[in-house]
Amino acid sequence: MSERPGPTGAAPGEHRDERGPVLRKGVGVPTSGWFDPRGRALGGFAFAANRVTGLGLVFYLYLHLGVLSLLLRGEGSWSDFLRIATSWAFLSLDVLLILGILYHGLNGIRVALVGSGIVADRQRALWWSLGVIGTIALVVSASHIYGSR
Amino acid sequence: MMTPSAPRAARDAPHVLIVGGGGTGGALAHDLTLRGLGVTLVERGEFTSGTTGRHHGLLHSGARYAVGDPDSAIECIQENTILRAICPGSFEENDGLFVAITDEDMAYYDDLVRGCKECGIPIQELNTDEALRLEPMLNPATKAAVRVPDGTMDAFRVPMRFLATAKHHGAQLFNYMEVLDLTTHDGAVTGALVRDQVTGNEGEIPADVVVNATGPWSGSVARMAGVDVPIVPSPGVMLAVRGRLCNMVLNRMHRSGDGDIIVPQRALSIVGTSSWTVEDPDDLDVPEDHVRRMWEEGAMLVPAVAEAGFRAAWSAARPLIGSRDADSGRELSRTFETIDHADEGVEGFVTITGGKATTLRGMAELCGDVICRKLSVDRPCRTRSFVTLPHTAYYADPERKLA
Amino acid sequence: MSTMGTRRFRVYRYKRGDPGWRFDLFVVPVGARTTVLEALRWVQRHLDGTLALRHSCLHASCGTCGVQVNGREALACVTPVEDLGATITVEPLANIPVLTDLVVDMREFVDRFPDEIAITRRSEPLPGAEPPEGIDAYERFEDCIECGLCLSACPVSATSDGYFGPAALAAAQRLLEEPRGVDPERILGWADDPLGAWRCHAAFECTAACPSNVRPAERIMALRGALGRRAG
Repeated sequence: MSERPGPTGAAPGEHRDERGPVLRKGVGVPTSGWFDPRGRALGGFAFAANRVTGLGLVFYLYLHLGVLSLLLRGEGSWSDFLRIATSWAFLSLDVLLILGILYHGLNGIRVALVGSGIVADRQRALWWSLGVIGTIALVVSASHIYGSR
Repeated sequence: MMTPSAPRAARDAPHVLIVGGGGTGGALAHDLTLRGLGVTLVERGEFTSGTTGRHHGLLHSGARYAVGDPDSAIECIQENTILRAICPGSFEENDGLFVAITDEDMAYYDDLVRGCKECGIPIQELNTDEALRLEPMLNPATKAAVRVPDGTMDAFRVPMRFLATAKHHGAQLFNYMEVLDLTTHDGAVTGALVRDQVTGNEGEIPADVVVNATGPWSGSVARMAGVDVPIVPSPGVMLAVRGRLCNMVLNRMHRSGDGDIIVPQRALSIVGTSSWTVEDPDDLDVPEDHVRRMWEEGAMLVPAVAEAGFRAAWSAARPLIGSRDADSGRELSRTFETIDHADEGVEGFVTITGGKATTLRGMAELCGDVICRKLSVDRPCRTRSFVTLPHTAYYADPERKLA
Repeated sequence: MSTMGTRRFRVYRYKRGDPGWRFDLFVVPVGARTTVLEALRWVQRHLDGTLALRHSCLHASCGTCGVQVNGREALACVTPVEDLGATITVEPLANIPVLTDLVVDMREFVDRFPDEIAITRRSEPLPGAEPPEGIDAYERFEDCIECGLCLSACPVSATSDGYFGPAALAAAQRLLEEPRGVDPERILGWADDPLGAWRCHAAFECTAACPSNVRPAERIMALRGALGRRAG
């Protein structure tokens, strides 16, 4: 069609059928598209937080198994561990862990109820009511954890 | 209603380059492919992004022109009927009302009824109660109404059906391809120099005939060939408010004036329009006082407009044919015209202009006839009964099954 | 337009054949009511004629002007510049291949829809209204304007090219709500796919982004409910 090709040598209308670049949200690699700090609404934040807590809990599980394996090395190493385990820093990590469990569990209930079509359109109400339950549970647990010291 | 398949253009078929991818260009591409011509269409932006996409979506019954411009009215009602048949499922077919609110409006009643009958526009006369039962949100001061076969069309998707069908029959359609100049040889137009906005590259597209289907831009494109086209770009303002305040199209019963129509579109109500003339259709204001007029006049028809939320206010330029002495544009005819510039000594160049969104197919038929005569091609128009593909077919794989 | 100052626009640019994309900076005069699209068209007319923009109706009816403005999906024609800050970043929609600059190639978006879609439906009745003689019921266009904002906002489509996406699944659910001659079994069979209704993770970004009240997330959940009842 063209008699005067342009700078790249292509005629007008060429390359139209090729697949162009695809913009992805999220940081860096394409598979991180779900983790986008900008521009998310409440639901998107909840979804990303669920994934983060999920990964965190898996990491914790392996850590926990590793710690338990100290028992195999006898009472001495276990007592060493207990000394760290009662420090403020460690107890605070425990509270963080409870937060992760509560968030993941309660949000998971919300997703299950909404996602199976049982309560399809009341998700905001669910979010806030489960959030209140979770916050109360967290405060109670935290006070027990810090209070035991 | 047949949908015969159209053969793709033969290798040695004449090639037509259409400049302008609005309703007119799209319908012409469809018309010419069905006649076996080779067609390339170039549009500088997205299809319908010039003027076609911006109208309020009225599928015109012609009643608005029945008194002052009967030629336009007859064109409209004929095309209205054809479009419903060749683009089924693409309209809100709820009919429309011409509503008399004041005594002044009532003075127009008899003229309107007579004009519609003379132009072949089917009508039904209604009293206040009947009108309010059909449209409860109408001004309760309504004195009478006349029902007409108006409808709502999707201003983008209806032309896309024509483009989709043309594409599936072999037309080369390029959006984001801007015409920088027309190429000429010995006083005849031989093609166009284009820039592809997708790559940034420039190149030439040769053609046996170039068609200027650029609506309000017809004048500037015609100048590239050294000819003049009497086009007066005539913008009007429209206002979209939130809420579907009516299902039928509501028209004020008087001669054309500002803000005398409300067209429902999904969950919005579009109030239009006003009129003034400009030199450059690329530079359109949205005058605040015109927008205010839309709110006021719209509320005369449907009081709830006054409380409705704002969605958008915009301007669109009508392509009016006529002398540049026109003041507001409302005096000019809304009919359409095909101009073969060979009459002015420039071969290979035709302009199709004027018209309305509703008459896109009819305009293309007329222009197609002129082009075929020019090229000594003896093929009749087939678009009156050819059911167009759905608008989504434009993007679909040709092998994919279409609903 | 009556000017009330200027704003800086950071605009994504890409032409086929370029090694990659870049951002161009434009300073644009704006008024109280200026929309993002109006500002970009000013750039096109006065600063850079090669900037490609997609638009048609200018009133949120055609769905063609979808972009990301400061990271959130929006229809440029109805997004006022006023509350957006001194520098406004405009990018094409995510998860759909870019054609040029801010224009995406809608093929992959449209291809996701089921074969049988209807664009007209029953209209919600106005209180007390009756349709005129000869018309069974008032009709209207479906809410979905095929703008693609939902697909761009969806975190699942960000990581999965094959996911049918919110618009397509919502359209399918609309066919279950109002069949219009389509066999519900076909729709359920189409949606019952690991990349169909089951791929959604209930982020609800699609409903938040939708400019036309389609509520795709709620519809996907209802579709899943229907699929669940069909199996049981």
